[in-house]
Amino acid sequence: MAEAALPGSNSSAAAGARKAVQDLNAPLWRNVLFVSPYLFFFVTLLVVPLFWGIWLSLHKADAFGTGRFVGLDNYFRLFRDKIFLQVVGNTFYFVLLTVPALAVIGLLLALALNRNTRTAAALRAVYFASSVLSVTIVTLIWRTVFIGNFGLLATVYGWFGATAPAFLSDPTLAMIGIAIATVWWCIGLPMMLFLSALQQVPREIYEAASLDNASRWRTLWHITLPSIRRTFVLVIIIEIVLQFQLFGQAWLMTKGGPNNASKPIVLYIYEATFIKWDLGLGAAASEILFILIMIAALAQYFISRRKGEEG
Amino acid sequence: MTLTLRKYMLAAASVLAFAATTPALAATELTVQRFFGACDAEFGTNTDASKAVGECGIITSLINKFNADNPDVHVSVTTVEWPGYDQLTAQFAAGDPPDVVTVHHSVLGDYQSRGLLMPLDDLLNSVGISPSDFTDASLSGVTKDGQIYGLPIDNWTMLFHINMDLFKKAELVNADGTPKLPTSVNELMAQAKQFKEKTGKPYFVQNLANEVALYTRNLYTYLFQQDSDFFADPKQVKLNTPEAKKVLEMYKAIYDNDYTTKDMDYAASINAFLAGEGGVHLNGTWVIGDYNASSETAGTALNAGGYAVYPYPQLFPGKKAQYADGHSWAVSQKDRTPEEAAAIGKFLKFFNDNDFEWSRTGHLPAVKAVLESENFKALPHRDTIAAVATLGTPLPSTVQRQFAIQDIIGQEMNAAITGQKQIDAALADMESRINELLANI
Amino acid sequence: MSSVSSGMVGRSAGDRIVLMLTIAMAIVMMAPIAWVVALSLKDNKELMTDMNSVFHVPYTIANYINILATSSVFRWILNSVIVSGVLTILTLVLSSLAGYGFARLNFPFRNALLILVLLGLAVPEQAVLIARHQLFSWLKFHNTYHGLILPGLAAPFGVFLMTQYFRAIPKELDEAALLDNASRFKIFWKVLLPLTLPAQATLGIFTFLSSWNDYFWPLISGTKKEMYTLTIGIASTQTNFAQSEGLGFLMSQAVFAGAPILILYLFFQKYIVTAVSGAAVR
Repeated sequence: MAEAALPGSNSSAAAGARKAVQDLNAPLWRNVLFVSPYLFFFVTLLVVPLFWGIWLSLHKADAFGTGRFVGLDNYFRLFRDKIFLQVVGNTFYFVLLTVPALAVIGLLLALALNRNTRTAAALRAVYFASSVLSVTIVTLIWRTVFIGNFGLLATVYGWFGATAPAFLSDPTLAMIGIAIATVWWCIGLPMMLFLSALQQVPREIYEAASLDNASRWRTLWHITLPSIRRTFVLVIIIEIVLQFQLFGQAWLMTKGGPNNASKPIVLYIYEATFIKWDLGLGAAASEILFILIMIAALAQYFISRRKGEEG
Repeated sequence: MTLTLRKYMLAAASVLAFAATTPALAATELTVQRFFGACDAEFGTNTDASKAVGECGIITSLINKFNADNPDVHVSVTTVEWPGYDQLTAQFAAGDPPDVVTVHHSVLGDYQSRGLLMPLDDLLNSVGISPSDFTDASLSGVTKDGQIYGLPIDNWTMLFHINMDLFKKAELVNADGTPKLPTSVNELMAQAKQFKEKTGKPYFVQNLANEVALYTRNLYTYLFQQDSDFFADPKQVKLNTPEAKKVLEMYKAIYDNDYTTKDMDYAASINAFLAGEGGVHLNGTWVIGDYNASSETAGTALNAGGYAVYPYPQLFPGKKAQYADGHSWAVSQKDRTPEEAAAIGKFLKFFNDNDFEWSRTGHLPAVKAVLESENFKALPHRDTIAAVATLGTPLPSTVQRQFAIQDIIGQEMNAAITGQKQIDAALADMESRINELLANI
Repeated sequence: MSSVSSGMVGRSAGDRIVLMLTIAMAIVMMAPIAWVVALSLKDNKELMTDMNSVFHVPYTIANYINILATSSVFRWILNSVIVSGVLTILTLVLSSLAGYGFARLNFPFRNALLILVLLGLAVPEQAVLIARHQLFSWLKFHNTYHGLILPGLAAPFGVFLMTQYFRAIPKELDEAALLDNASRFKIFWKVLLPLTLPAQATLGIFTFLSSWNDYFWPLISGTKKEMYTLTIGIASTQTNFAQSEGLGFLMSQAVFAGAPILILYLFFQKYIVTAVSGAAVR
């Protein structure tokens, strides 16, 4: 189609084309028009509030006044607080538990369900269905699965005369219990991101591969996976960002307990802001969370980029 | 002709406009915000509170009745998810709070200390309500800095809910048929041991998972009973004390000897008690109605031998007391017309007058006369728990952030009782965390 | 056409094993949801005494009638549809434009701006919540639709996603069209946008979903009953002890609030898995 549209033939047209392609890459102010609508909201509703939050973190304040300037005092208080250090550790632990699981399971599901059949469509709906539930219900379900004596798990273990692990009240298991519930709840997004990436892989490549009699494994390993590498990075980064912000599941399943073993940073922030009314402390903890997410996401981004360049 | 038509249309429009605005012109609008849920299907149009059951049903019916009785006032109700303080704080911060709002006695101090609530002494006086009408527990709950900041509607507390069938099997029944309750820590341990040996079940049903409130209320109660003045200074708690240690040691012994259910959350503990899985359920005033109904249903665990409910037994030789909190109507601080103020007065007076209906929820009445009335005494089990109105003791009214303190105490007690932390370490951390919190208000 | 991912024709033994495994796992996934639906059809008092009663009759639709009888519930549904719907449409528009701009066009400070937006991805909601609330108090945006919608427009997730997808489209396509003297906007609209349909559907569903289930911002911004979203509204109808005394009601609320999104998903899912890529690249 593109060729047919080229007027005439000859080298002059080709030169014109080259010039046009060069223009395509020239920095032009009017191109900003495409990104400026979003940037307007980004700056007014994210960047400005972020700096406002940083300013707030330098104050001793509650919701009903501007408070007084205390410098970095809120940050010092955080680093003196054993529990804050514990919740930072908890949050990293939770991210390590959930992010790889979500990415790998999501990818496997997408590979298995990327077909145009009715069965596959129904199964995709099933795997997506848990995502539509609100966190209140998700946690209620998993609490009744995990809870002692009456829970589903306890019942099943009971059939074999065994005692079920206490996922909600054993400090070494609490975070794992929350992670299981989270993976169950959140698997829909990575699966769908991988599915839409798989849809972008040009079919010609597969056709060529099948002509070459490439084995299924070779096709998967050498064609499918490399072409969705970018999406894999995207999924990892998005999940890092999301799972660092764990809140509802921990609040509703264990209240962060026992002994703060399952308390994530956001729950700490919530308690500081809304229960202790210590807005400055909450703001300071939010900024630290921001920095941690940024480091984790950037690290992931650069690691994957370097690998990509080598490969 | 067009002119006539226009005239008609104008006339019609003005009639419509008049009809639409008339109620607004005549009635004073009052915004009321409350928790307790919604139950429009059952009680949405009911105005007879005596026919309603449960917190939601009774409060909905009472407000319906108020609106029906007072055409000059229109109460518009916004229901919030319990306890609604995130939302309320946001409303105050945005300068747009409701006129009247449900607030726990224990939380009044937080808003009052920032000047967000209106002192009610004059308003209550103007509608003929005197502070001496209230029970001691209620009055002390709503009084801050010598003034009243909420109309108390009840007191509630934790109670011993007892499965009499299991108590009989455990031979823990007096000659008159009442349950034998302990009078000291040693007696409690002995009875719990006996209970377990005879019935094979734990003495206590407790919700120890996903929970902070139960631990905290237990601690407060048994500290009061030892005359421990742990909040002598409302800005500085003293919890690393021998008294507190005694309480934690007692609960740890109960836990270690399997005298209690473990790993249960709130809903599971109710299920367990109703299924007869233990002798004593530590739960609040609000479940009396449900448990009583269960005991009257053939075939249930509570029907087998009966259900009884008592205040916490006095285990220590100090003041007879147990921790109590309560609900109140607080009024936001705002510039109001005399009509608006009068409407609020009417609303509060109405709830004060109907305190008996509210006490049918299981909560104890805030009005002395109701507590002493025959109507109240005739309600199931109220004879045994009425004592709470005098036993009930809140924290000192000037202690702020009581919900946050409850979280800290609950977390540390849980760690100590389940053996994740030494009792001394837990008490030390409890104390320093609360003091850090209070120092930063 | 049976299997796009493997490129194989027909069904091999391996295929069947994979299918069996996914079905088995799907049953495990589904079990709790079936359980939620079953609980929603039970009487609350019965559940309070015996959770296992969920496995036998009687069942009732009383809980759903209760929801529909709640005086404001239709207003809340309308609010949620407006807020989530408008937010989703605007997010798709803004993200597609910006994604195309960042992926394909050059302009001064492009890379710096892109990195800034990507850093924005790392900003947790809590870091901006209080400031936004104060800003909106000052602007008198609370208890309005725009007050509920606007904060969602700043989320960088959509821009990140669309930038990635636009980058994955072979450049030859738009360069060819450019030689055809098509305008930038026309290339974006006619040539590239259709190719991002799977990503649009994914982004659309998840924007709608997260807005529909959003709890914190609507709680502190839309504080009047008339401005509650469905999530906040149904939470407000629960009593303090809903999980013990109103379990069936709670579950019926979950089904009631979740069903619209599931329907929306079923509607959109055909755009996620179609033959779109093959047709477009030819």
